Amino acid sequence: MADDDPGEVGDQSQPGGLATWVVLGLAVVLVLGLLSLRCALGPDAARSYPSRTLPPEPLPVLLPPPEMNDEYMPCDDCHEGEPTNPTPRELEDDHEETVLAHGDLWCLRCHDTDQRDNLRLSNGTLVDFEDSWKLCTQCHGQRLEEWKAGVHGKRTGHWWGAKEYWTCVACHDPHSPVFKPIEPKPPPVRPSSITWKPRIEPEETDREEP
Amino acid sequence: MKNPERDEQLDAKGASRRKFLRTTAAGVGAAAGVPAAAEAFDFETFFQKNFRSMSDEEIDELTDRLARKYEKKYGKPFDVQATGPVDNVVFGYGLDISRCIGCRRCVDACVQENNQSRDPEIQWIRVLEFERERVVRGFELEDGNPYYDHEQAPAEGMVYLPIACQHCEDSPCTNVCPTGATWEEPDGIVVIDYDWCIGCRYCMAACPYGARHFNWAEPNIPADEVNTNIHPLGNRPRGRGVVEKCSFCIQRVRDGRYPACHEACPVGARKFGNLLDPNSEISYLLKNKRTFVLKAELNTRPKFFYFYG
Ligand code: HEC
Ligand code: HEC
Ligand code: HEC
Ligand code: HEC
Repeated sequence: MADDDPGEVGDQSQPGGLATWVVLGLAVVLVLGLLSLRCALGPDAARSYPSRTLPPEPLPVLLPPPEMNDEYMPCDDCHEGEPTNPTPRELEDDHEETVLAHGDLWCLRCHDTDQRDNLRLSNGTLVDFEDSWKLCTQCHGQRLEEWKAGVHGKRTGHWWGAKEYWTCVACHDPHSPVFKPIEPKPPPVRPSSITWKPRIEPEETDREEP
Repeated sequence: MKNPERDEQLDAKGASRRKFLRTTAAGVGAAAGVPAAAEAFDFETFFQKNFRSMSDEEIDELTDRLARKYEKKYGKPFDVQATGPVDNVVFGYGLDISRCIGCRRCVDACVQENNQSRDPEIQWIRVLEFERERVVRGFELEDGNPYYDHEQAPAEGMVYLPIACQHCEDSPCTNVCPTGATWEEPDGIVVIDYDWCIGCRYCMAACPYGARHFNWAEPNIPADEVNTNIHPLGNRPRGRGVVEKCSFCIQRVRDGRYPACHEACPVGARKFGNLLDPNSEISYLLKNKRTFVLKAELNTRPKFFYFYG
């Protein structure tokens, strides 16, 4: 290395040394030349694109709610003709897994007493399970407005084009609507524990590690 | 362990001189603009014009060339489309901080969609975790921890802030690029011409959001996972020695589709649309919600808005 013998590098009387420098210099000039040539082909102005429009939007559709628990469908298999006990209580003979944690609502605020396969709005109108959002939004009016504007909840598909609106029950369990925590995907690798090796391995030399 | 950039530097300092020499050699190779050094030298790519000065025919040649190149590399057909911007559209992004639970589904979807290197790992989205009490006066990005590792998200008392390219209107990164390899498109997307990037990393130093990432090594994407629907300015597989970043999924959004992270979010915290359309979701939330941008004091004018739903 240079610091071992300071005279060596600058010594122009050695023809080998001079040639190396000339070659190196030429190489640098060549690289810089190519680079500037490349940059000279550079952009003059912003690219002018041809005019382009997207086709008109079709009407949005509602994402079908998730599959309901088969075991209980249809409800009338058991409930048809059965008397209804309207008192709020622990259910023991069936539905023991339906734990209500939704304000202090009881089942029959949402499910119709006589037509179990329907939900019932507070004005008495029956709605299908697929239209459960109509039920939710009569109590959660502000969410309705934001959901219609696309700010609460979620849309998938196209920002311009066919899209699906997710309904409330796609994310909220109607019986216990608070969003449940889920397992996160693994964290990124810390720079200090990166395992990859550079592709270019320097040739093994017998030079010692400093 | 807060600032990944700083960590990288610290790591480099501790490394042996041989390692330093090795990295410098790789860095110089990259900085010399040798395109995709791992592949055979390709004359056409080397003298390729900047994307912005290409004629329509030259763009067709480019997409053909890319399709051939990737087909050879990954052994399956690629659909390369250099789709242009849509008239009267400027994209904006909204993110609801009161919904985000830090589950990193968006990060995963982004890696898959945009052909990010798996090992070495590159992730365009970082999800920062903050203690709720500490963010009452705003987010200090340096306090955010991207490495949190919980069984369940969200963790008690924590808030999450996913961050990627903010697509600034006055973007410091494009201003410093010496080769004009990065610029803002008419629809507001800040893009990179990956054949023109010389890997000098000025843009990374200029970006206040840490949104740009450098390919220190040859990127590595399993052939069965590679996304074959690609845009030359977006999710095409990159080479070693170039800088890459989020492009709002340019390959999707110019066809009207939502970005991949938007589709993946299980809580619906992500909102996307046309800022010029008064009826879009993004316009609604700018009008009706408390929105803010990160590091507003730098006047970079991001088109990525955070809000409380
Ligand atoms: C396997 C038979 C079975 C099916 C199917 C079934 N239920 Fe029930 N359900 C019961 C029984 C038994 C009770 C009474 C439980 C008790 O009193 O402990 C009950 C009680 C209820 C109650 C409480 C009020 C009342 O009537 O006592 C509601 C509300 C209810 N069911 C709704 C439904 C709905 C909605 C469905 C369809 C999605 C359904 N059930 C399907 C067996 C069934
Ligand atoms: C806030 C309104 C509400 C209340 C209160 C409510 N439910 Fe439901 N329930 C629904 C809705 C909406 C659905 C449809 C869910 C879907 O589409 O996935 C449903 C579905 C069901 C089902 C179908 C199986 C399933 O779980 O998907 C059963 C059984 C049921 N409810 C029983 C009950 C019982 C028993 C109670 C009282 C302990 C009750 N519900 C209280 C709104 C309610
Ligand atoms: C009859 C009125 C009523 C209906 C119908 C109703 N809710 Fe509720 N909801 C309430 C009440 C009351 C609360 C409790 C508010 C509170 O605790 O401050 C509540 C709370 C909630 C919460 C917040 C939970 C929390 O603790 O933060 C969510 C989410 C929710 N409801 C979703 C729904 C969904 C989804 C539906 C439709 C399946 C629905 N609600 C139908 C009355 C209703
Ligand atoms: C994409 C999933 C998603 C959809 C669809 C959705 N919500 Fe929510 N909602 C959430 C999340 C996440 C929260 C916040 C976490 C929580 O408190 O559970 C929330 C919170 C709420 C709350 C509690 C108040 C608040 O703002 O924190 C109510 C009430 C509510 N939602 C009602 C609805 C209603 C009504 C609908 C249907 C019109 C609906 N949601 C659709 C995900 C969703």
